Amino acid sequence: MFVASVAYVAASFVTFKIIGPVQDVFFPALAGHASLLFLPHGVRVLAGWLLGWRAIVALLPGVFAVFWFVGGADVFLPSRLIAIAIAVATAPATFRLLATLGWDLSPGRDTPPCWPCIMAAGIVISVIIAALTNLAFGTRPVDFVAYLIGDFFGLFFLMMFLMFFFRFMRHHGTA
Amino acid sequence: MPEISKLTELRKLLLGMERSLGLQELSHTERDIYYAASDIAKTEKQIRTTGLMEHALVAEVSRPTFFRALKSLVEKGYLAPSQGRSRGLYEINRKPNG
Repeated sequence: MFVASVAYVAASFVTFKIIGPVQDVFFPALAGHASLLFLPHGVRVLAGWLLGWRAIVALLPGVFAVFWFVGGADVFLPSRLIAIAIAVATAPATFRLLATLGWDLSPGRDTPPCWPCIMAAGIVISVIIAALTNLAFGTRPVDFVAYLIGDFFGLFFLMMFLMFFFRFMRHHGTA
Repeated sequence: MPEISKLTELRKLLLGMERSLGLQELSHTERDIYYAASDIAKTEKQIRTTGLMEHALVAEVSRPTFFRALKSLVEKGYLAPSQGRSRGLYEINRKPNG
């Protein structure tokens, strides 16, 4: 289950240490604010979809570690703890809410999983996270839009990466 | 749902993405049969043709199409006939042909 946390830390590392510096060159206005390819969003959406409420426990160590890495001891500030809670709880809560509203995307049913539906749910989750973050801390409009773009492409490219990973494994007989 | 089933669900999701992007090497029916076989394999060691045909994902498929797709899945290496047992039993092949 804690694979989700490891994946979250790895995705954050790639986002902040590899994608971030490249983005700062091409989009200096966003430097130090929002990532246009935020892979951790993909991890939290897929974890929320696969694990349901258990995603909160599964993601918490990873999200906490990333906040610690970024903010040091500030991770214990109320605002940071609220941000951690938003990061881990929004995806499973949204999937539960969507199911309650009649759009059940839960895995393990008789119908094959629908990836565009997961992408759509990812957008809803992103909007909710951005709105909650904005309510809690206030966000510049340009950051709000950048969060949405970053979350969308983060989920899409993470799924693309996993798709090619599984494809590679399948063709090489290890999956 | 056990952890291995979650991995199966994730793989199903991404197989759907492969197909949408035109990278999938399986037809719609072949994929449904493969999904159904994966589902059955969660609880049973070997997959019976009869059990496969009764699965909700495959129930609408005609017999000729079903057997044609099943044969194709075996040829492509996604399913393998069970060794040393009677006919009509298959196993998920972890190493499909490239």
